[in-house]
Amino acid sequence: MERKRTTIILSVFCALLLAFVAVSPMFSYAETPYKTYTLSGYGDVQETQTAYLAYETLVKFGDEAMNRPNDVYVTDDNEIYVADTGNARVLVGNLEGELLGIIGEGTLKSPRGVFVTEENKHVYVADRDGEAVFEFDRNGKLLNTYGKPTSPLYGDNLSFMPIKVVVNDAGIMFIICESNTNGIVEISPTEGGMFLGYFGTNFASASLRTIIYRAIMTDAQRAKMVSNIPSTPDNLAIDERGLIYTVTRGDESKTLKRLNIAGINLIDKSRNATIPAAVTAGNHDNVYVADQNGYIYEYNNEGDLLYVFGGKDDGSQRIGLSTMVTAIQADKQDRLYLLDVDKAQIQVYTPTEFTSLLHEALYLYSKGLYTESKAPLEKVLQMNSMFDYANRAMGRAYFQEENYNMALKYARLAKDYEGYSDAYWEIRNQWLKRNITTMIIVIVLAFVLIKVLKNLDQKKGIFNGVRNLSKSIWSKDLMSHIKYAGYYMKHPIDGAYGISHEGHASWGASTILLGIFTIEYLVYKYLCGFLQKTVREGRYEVLSDVGIILVVIFAVTVCNYLVCTINDGEGTVKKIYTYFCFSLMPYILLTPVCFVLSHVLTTNEQFLINLLQILMYGWIAVLMVLGIKEVNNYTPKETVKIILLTLFTILIMALLVFIVYVLWAQVFEFISAIFGEVVYRLGY
Amino acid sequence: MATKKKILSLLLAALFLFTLLPAISFADEEPMVTYSDYQLVTESDSYKLYLYEPRMSILLENKETGVILESTLSDEKDDGKSNAIWTGYMKSGVVVQYIKGTNNTFQAELFNSDHTKTYRNLKNGFACDIYFTKEMFGFTVEVTLEGKELLVKVPESSIREDATDTFISAISLFPFMGYTHLGDTAGYMLVPDGNGALINLTDKEGRFSTGFSQMIYGRDDGFTDSTTPSYLWDKYDTVLRSNNVIAPVFGMAHTDEQQGYLAVVEEGQNRCTIEAQPNGVMVAYNRCLAKFLLRDVYIQPLNQSNSGTVTMAEVDRGHGDLAVRYFLLSGEDADYVGMALTYRDYLLEKGALAKKDTSYKTRVDFLGADVEPFLISTKSVTMTTTENIEEIYNNLRNAGVTSLLSVYKGWQKGGYYALPINSFSASKSIGGNGKLVDLIKESDENGYDLYLYNDGLRINGDTNKFTMNAVKKVNKRTLKEEPVKQVYDLFYYQMPNRAGSVLMKFVSSYTSKGVNKLALAGISNILYSYSSKGSYYTRSDTASAYEKTVAAISNNTDLILEQPFSYLWKYAGAFLDMPVGSSDYMFLDEEVPFLSIVLKGTLPMYSDYVNFEANKTEFFLQLVESGVFPSFYVTYENSAALIYTNSSNLYSTEFTTYRDTIVDYDKQMRQIAAATDGATITNHEKLSGGVTRVTYSNGTVVYVNYSNQPVSVDGYTVDALSYKVGEAQ
Repeated sequence: MERKRTTIILSVFCALLLAFVAVSPMFSYAETPYKTYTLSGYGDVQETQTAYLAYETLVKFGDEAMNRPNDVYVTDDNEIYVADTGNARVLVGNLEGELLGIIGEGTLKSPRGVFVTEENKHVYVADRDGEAVFEFDRNGKLLNTYGKPTSPLYGDNLSFMPIKVVVNDAGIMFIICESNTNGIVEISPTEGGMFLGYFGTNFASASLRTIIYRAIMTDAQRAKMVSNIPSTPDNLAIDERGLIYTVTRGDESKTLKRLNIAGINLIDKSRNATIPAAVTAGNHDNVYVADQNGYIYEYNNEGDLLYVFGGKDDGSQRIGLSTMVTAIQADKQDRLYLLDVDKAQIQVYTPTEFTSLLHEALYLYSKGLYTESKAPLEKVLQMNSMFDYANRAMGRAYFQEENYNMALKYARLAKDYEGYSDAYWEIRNQWLKRNITTMIIVIVLAFVLIKVLKNLDQKKGIFNGVRNLSKSIWSKDLMSHIKYAGYYMKHPIDGAYGISHEGHASWGASTILLGIFTIEYLVYKYLCGFLQKTVREGRYEVLSDVGIILVVIFAVTVCNYLVCTINDGEGTVKKIYTYFCFSLMPYILLTPVCFVLSHVLTTNEQFLINLLQILMYGWIAVLMVLGIKEVNNYTPKETVKIILLTLFTILIMALLVFIVYVLWAQVFEFISAIFGEVVYRLGY
Repeated sequence: MATKKKILSLLLAALFLFTLLPAISFADEEPMVTYSDYQLVTESDSYKLYLYEPRMSILLENKETGVILESTLSDEKDDGKSNAIWTGYMKSGVVVQYIKGTNNTFQAELFNSDHTKTYRNLKNGFACDIYFTKEMFGFTVEVTLEGKELLVKVPESSIREDATDTFISAISLFPFMGYTHLGDTAGYMLVPDGNGALINLTDKEGRFSTGFSQMIYGRDDGFTDSTTPSYLWDKYDTVLRSNNVIAPVFGMAHTDEQQGYLAVVEEGQNRCTIEAQPNGVMVAYNRCLAKFLLRDVYIQPLNQSNSGTVTMAEVDRGHGDLAVRYFLLSGEDADYVGMALTYRDYLLEKGALAKKDTSYKTRVDFLGADVEPFLISTKSVTMTTTENIEEIYNNLRNAGVTSLLSVYKGWQKGGYYALPINSFSASKSIGGNGKLVDLIKESDENGYDLYLYNDGLRINGDTNKFTMNAVKKVNKRTLKEEPVKQVYDLFYYQMPNRAGSVLMKFVSSYTSKGVNKLALAGISNILYSYSSKGSYYTRSDTASAYEKTVAAISNNTDLILEQPFSYLWKYAGAFLDMPVGSSDYMFLDEEVPFLSIVLKGTLPMYSDYVNFEANKTEFFLQLVESGVFPSFYVTYENSAALIYTNSSNLYSTEFTTYRDTIVDYDKQMRQIAAATDGATITNHEKLSGGVTRVTYSNGTVVYVNYSNQPVSVDGYTVDALSYKVGEAQ
């Protein structure tokens, strides 16, 4: 019986083994369950080629599983150190899942952060409940313990609860402590841990609203307000040059910071993680930020977002999605390690060919090797011709090669205004050089031609026909009114008199001028030079533009009329409409000039356009004020009063419209609710 | 073989021994139910069917090997760690989930719940009339064994619901069929995710909180999704939708006992969830099952802002028989290849699959035009005109590409998103009707098949303001698809019968020109419940309406379908967008080309676009392994022109970029296809060292090496990340 049993067990075992070999897991990871996005030049989110593939999931090293791990560190030789918080130890392992060591068992209480020096493999552990940073050697021997600094500068009442730590080449520790809002604690290893001060302090920002609130609130109310204490960085990292990176949640554009040794921030633009959990430096002057919800962001050295990918696991348990991320690391092969505290696992991602090419280009470009960076950039653009960063870099590379037309094309694609302007300057310069002689000849010829024609005209009157024709056109009623707008522009006081007393007020002429104004406005808005453009290319909202113009002119006319009639003004609706429309004359005359200029000027010369525009708007304002004053026959004091009253009336009117709209929405909601109820009751 | 038999019989003996031991020692407690309590009901030439009446638990004994397949958790394998509800779930032959009021979290089964049941004898089996007395509903379960097939069925006529506020929500028949405990038995479960995937029956150490649970033929858009997904910057969904379950199958293989089954959901599959739960998900047992959905609760908003809502149970349940057919597999057949071959035979026999022209063609699709906003309207962004296609065709022909399959997307007036397509009216910018017809005819003569793409499902909500033809959800609100896009960001679904008439109109105006090549999408891979004019329609109604439409179209056209569900396979001349991978669930241990084995040699399959694959080398090898033909999506113009259109997600499509890849893939795949043409796959093995061996019915063997080193196998050396075509030894 006993022998038989052994045979059975053996045979079962063999069968098991056979079955295992037959279906040995060779999982292929061709697809990913997440998309990768990048940003376009306008900050639009665009889908792109998968940047990183989910490659491997580490749940344990040897037989040692992790329990609520909070931090991970990967050395240059790919040893993985995990702050295994729940088990109060640091696990050392590798990508194959082998256990290489356990550090700090018995010493550590609640290790939250881990850092390893490359040179001598000293392991620094930030232990929150142990209230100290422990320094071990690679074999787990405790070398040093850095407790709460004794320096009074640290703050006597502050506790010391380290949660993250990084160490620079000089052995100086940068420590983030829980509930210490003064900043990153900087401790030198000399004399058993000398406190050097606080580093990279975040500043509390106060919005205008908060300031107003504070000014009018009582003390009790103020005490209730959310305290305006600067937020502590959530995590930090250090790169090879000793620059410190921090991430702070709720700090909007300053979420990610790169701090030099003096604590000065070197990045201040980036599309950011909502709940940043961790940051790490890459091998190509790039930075990775991990969001707690599993999104991974990659930035270049200027803080431009290259990719964002990954995502939150909704419970369907798909590879590469996370539940709660606490740490991120990149190794020398650009693999990413994402630590998930909830799943107690490390997800490893590996870069795709696309990303590797981009990294190569990024590196070459940042080293100033523009021409060399073109080859990988071209491949990147083949794989994704809309990849904005590559377009921009390509534009710059062509600029360096003095191929300005290509530089211009790529800069425009990438919305790189600076690059576009530079390239355009060169192109214009070349054109001018080539054509200067022709231009001078043409100008001289034109001058001579005009002179000759004028002479001929004086002697023989060859343009009499044309002159008569234009006279007969302009003398038509409507046309004469339009012409009068020109006069009004130059002589507003006399002009206004004409409008009010000499019958120059005209519905038709005013409307035509308003029409011309609208067309010019639209043409300028949508078709002006690239550098002056305030709207996106490919975006047209013409209907709403026209609507706004009509509403504004309607509101201004009607309100002004209402105010004038009860203030002894002499203006009729027609007259008021006329002077407002006639006042737009400077815009009608000067905008074509601006339009032409916008197509030939570079960024440096844009001030010319701005100057013209200031002149234009100032002139319009003067015309309007004088129009109101003269047509209604007001004193200057009355005019000011009328203008203020008009503005106030417009405000009231807007408010009224808004209230009616809200009420109507309520009525509509009510009716639709009844309808919904009926539908539901009748089951129809 | 003899030793194998011996081992198996020994195993069986041991099993019985184990069952007896504890039964004796705990005699004073409630006596354990053992195999001896089961009674023989019927037997076929290969299996015996036993029944234990109190739990309606059955056993299937393989007459040849003596291996037993259990349908419910046996008392001796009960680890005693589960609560009463789970114990009831595991030990009952049938489990009902029911709705009381508007709450659908209640469970009734034969272990804990009060019920009456009467057994009747059937030819080859038995029937059991079950009635739950407290809940006041009941139905009949019929179990019959014929040869190697076990059919479990609930006839529609037997389902009774007598209470006014208690309704059946879901019925699971033998949810523990072929279960195993932790890693005790070697083997795997077959999951119909993507092309096919396996969950190994190993100890998962509690790593997974959920397993596979997906509705057959995709989720139901007619019900409002109650979970709020997490978006990047509150707007962008970064997570890809998981694959639809294309075929209603699942399976279990105990590889050490060489016993397993393939289950086909034969009736009621249109509203049924397939679950495959590894150990650690609530209990320590691996199990896979079909859960039939009869009725669900939904949220009824009462006003426009959705601030007032009520939760409702559906007024009526789904009607129709429910049936799962288990194909019992033993010996060599008890693996995923056996399952696939069994399924293929079943489909062929039923006429659900027919042999089509499977000769090799590379698929090169084109995007004609899309639109971008311009002033108050839009303007066309033309990417590939008919002349461009001619040029591309000439280019490829000169490079030695002898046959091609192309789908022309965005050919219609108004571009890709001008939906629905009511008549045959090509965009002027691509050359108009005349040139398009000429192109199709000409290229057909030269062996290049150009199909026009038509999404029969969607209505562009931005250009069609009226919603009377749009599908309303179960809660009578219009079903909307709102992608984050630049030009059009609102789409509706056409009512199924409307879709049918619109498509037929299109087909007649198209075929009147003497051309008939059509690629149909949208309705080929979606099912939903909907309401219309006070009536409520189920997924089965949708399915039959779509099947009718597709059948009618296939009579008049040369029809190919985009990722068609299994009931449409017989109408398709080709299967477009066949997945080669899975949805990357963590609990999946392996991906296997299950659907490929089923369809290879019968229905030609074309992959997703190679353009957008990040890892092209591996993707190519997967195509070689699964016998799926490669697909490309190209445009004549650079895709940067699409930046302001709805198609801005097509970031890399320019023909010149892909020309060499197309020619290279074509050359290699054509060679392989020549060796395997018309043959079916007879075996698929994953060997050690990262090599897969695929054997074809004509004796050709394809070796695929996914590893980074060259591997020697069967006397062939397969290079790293490469493949080799050989002959069977």
